[in-house]
Amino acid sequence: MLSFSTVVERALNGPICSERDFELEVFVPNLRKVIEKYGIKYEPQNPVPADNDLADRVWAAAMEFLCETGVYCLDTERLILFTRDEIEGALETGPRGVVFGEGKDARVIPRRWPEDKTPPFCSGGGGGCLVSSEWIYLNLVKAYAEDHLSDGITTPSLTNVDGQQIIAGSPLGVEGAIRSLILTREALRRAGRPGMPIVNVIATGVKCQEHIAAQRFGTPATDHIEVGTVHEMKVDFDSLNKVAYSLAVGSLIFAENGVILGGLSGGPAGTAVVTAAYNPVDLLILRGAVQHPFPTHFELLTSSRDAIWARNVATQAVTRHSPLPVVNLGYTLAGPMTKMGFYEFSAWVIGAVVSGSSIEIVSQAKGVALDHCSSAEPIFINRVAHAVAGMSRKEANKIVVALLEKYEGQLRNPPTGQRYQECYDMATGKPNKELIELYREVRQEMTDQFGLRFQHASPYL
Amino acid sequence: MSNESTYKRLSAAIIAGDKDKLLAAVEDALREGVTASEIIERGMSPGMKEVGERFARYEIYLPEMMMAAEAWEQAMKVLEPKLLAAGAERKKVGRVVIGTVKGDIHSIGKNIVAAMLKMSGFEVFDLGVEVAASAFVMKAEEVGADILAASALMSTTTPQQKEIIEHLKARGVRDKYCVLVGGGSTSQEWANSIGADGYGRTAGDAVALALKAVS
Repeated sequence: MLSFSTVVERALNGPICSERDFELEVFVPNLRKVIEKYGIKYEPQNPVPADNDLADRVWAAAMEFLCETGVYCLDTERLILFTRDEIEGALETGPRGVVFGEGKDARVIPRRWPEDKTPPFCSGGGGGCLVSSEWIYLNLVKAYAEDHLSDGITTPSLTNVDGQQIIAGSPLGVEGAIRSLILTREALRRAGRPGMPIVNVIATGVKCQEHIAAQRFGTPATDHIEVGTVHEMKVDFDSLNKVAYSLAVGSLIFAENGVILGGLSGGPAGTAVVTAAYNPVDLLILRGAVQHPFPTHFELLTSSRDAIWARNVATQAVTRHSPLPVVNLGYTLAGPMTKMGFYEFSAWVIGAVVSGSSIEIVSQAKGVALDHCSSAEPIFINRVAHAVAGMSRKEANKIVVALLEKYEGQLRNPPTGQRYQECYDMATGKPNKELIELYREVRQEMTDQFGLRFQHASPYL
Repeated sequence: MSNESTYKRLSAAIIAGDKDKLLAAVEDALREGVTASEIIERGMSPGMKEVGERFARYEIYLPEMMMAAEAWEQAMKVLEPKLLAAGAERKKVGRVVIGTVKGDIHSIGKNIVAAMLKMSGFEVFDLGVEVAASAFVMKAEEVGADILAASALMSTTTPQQKEIIEHLKARGVRDKYCVLVGGGSTSQEWANSIGADGYGRTAGDAVALALKAVS
């Protein structure tokens, strides 16, 4: 695989191009060309396609698109270009069997294939949920870590430091990031899982300096950094600096790509192709140990039918061709304590798992409503993910279609649900009776209606 | 060729986002004696309206919007001098200064709103991403804007929207502008709490608020 320094050299010396020209003269026409050439069409009736030929065509389109388009460096206004040999070389020599976490809590994120029986890696913990207090933060992470099916932690976002709102790039951003890491480590200790891998080290932190500062208070070799590309097929120095730091300290990288459905990639077909094309980019530029995609509809986020289709097609394309493990992540529009929230998480997770991915459960209520976060739904979803491992894509498609029919009508007006303070006991951090009853009701519904068998008891439900 | 077919050709070029075809159609129409005003009102504007409607139905997306807006702007460079010469300057609906706030590099949502505002007849000054509060204010003062529109995706960058309002107040010009906020981490509650004039959950909401502000 090309060295990172070669990538940086290309970012500094590649062909000059304006951002506007990259978007409208390079990216868009190249994408349209491969979509047409490879006949990639969205099928709303099959949000979980079972078509290997489609997956292979998406992969072929993605590789051709990447070779012709490259990646745009925002800071230098230059193109980082790769040849097909360089891309294939990265795929052949990328990381395999990487261990995340340490001691008894260490896990390998598996390479999975479509319809694979291998259990998925399940990460959660309120990733990106906005929380107003350190107490809620601690309780959320601890509750999630106590679940034996939880393999990794993605942290919530603290909104303030001692009452002062956190501002990215300011000293409050640095302090917020440090505090988040210390709180997460403490929550894991309280849960009895001190070596559990923290997938997203600092959801509170945005800037490179915040990530670096926080890692000084954690375990660089086992606490991972999420490094993202910029929409679409772009990187900036802040991202590259995170990579440079991670490589120096031996930290693992979750390479994050949230292609916007409705953005430059256009509709579901373009979103699928670009998501797949990011896989080698995640290896070559972000030096990822995992691809961490979340195709997101520009208004309806990750649980709309077209976003689910794009996610599943891209995941199948990648898992059939690349050794880099995939951990999909997704949100809900609905908040905690709503049936819709359970359905939304279930719909994208079932499709992702049978398409060959592992999962990360992040924000509820769009990640916007303060303290609208809960551990019950992610813990439920861990069980759904395990229950569908090995299921055929055709069977999964029927379930996902039925789930979509339950909530699609509410996508534009989702219920916000309840705040943590309303559905949890603030002292014990356990869900109240109503949330437990809702959990049991949805679990029973999934068994009765879809035949899902849940073999794992949850910590307290 | 009848004027109706000319208008259809202009509209189709806008919908296709094809600036070369649109410029050719504009030149042909002018040669045929169609006035600049008729070209805009009966040919290009219906095309732009159709683009907006298709976007709202999720039939087309950002690239088509950007291309249509670019084609429109190119055609207007030819048509505006003709309008002026005919004493019929096209009135802009309003002026908007738009950008993604300091510390935030996310541009897609902001670009969608900017494209839709252009289609709705606004003169849009897009400052890009990572825009300092003072830059919003200075640009607004420079161009005589009606509206400031600030996007923020991250919870840790939304405070920069509040900063814009603070800067406006510090300069004593808060009441001159309608301040609209939007982006993934924002909400109506947030907009209320910082004293913004409006919150756009979607791009369509943002345009509706902008139109209301200048009406």
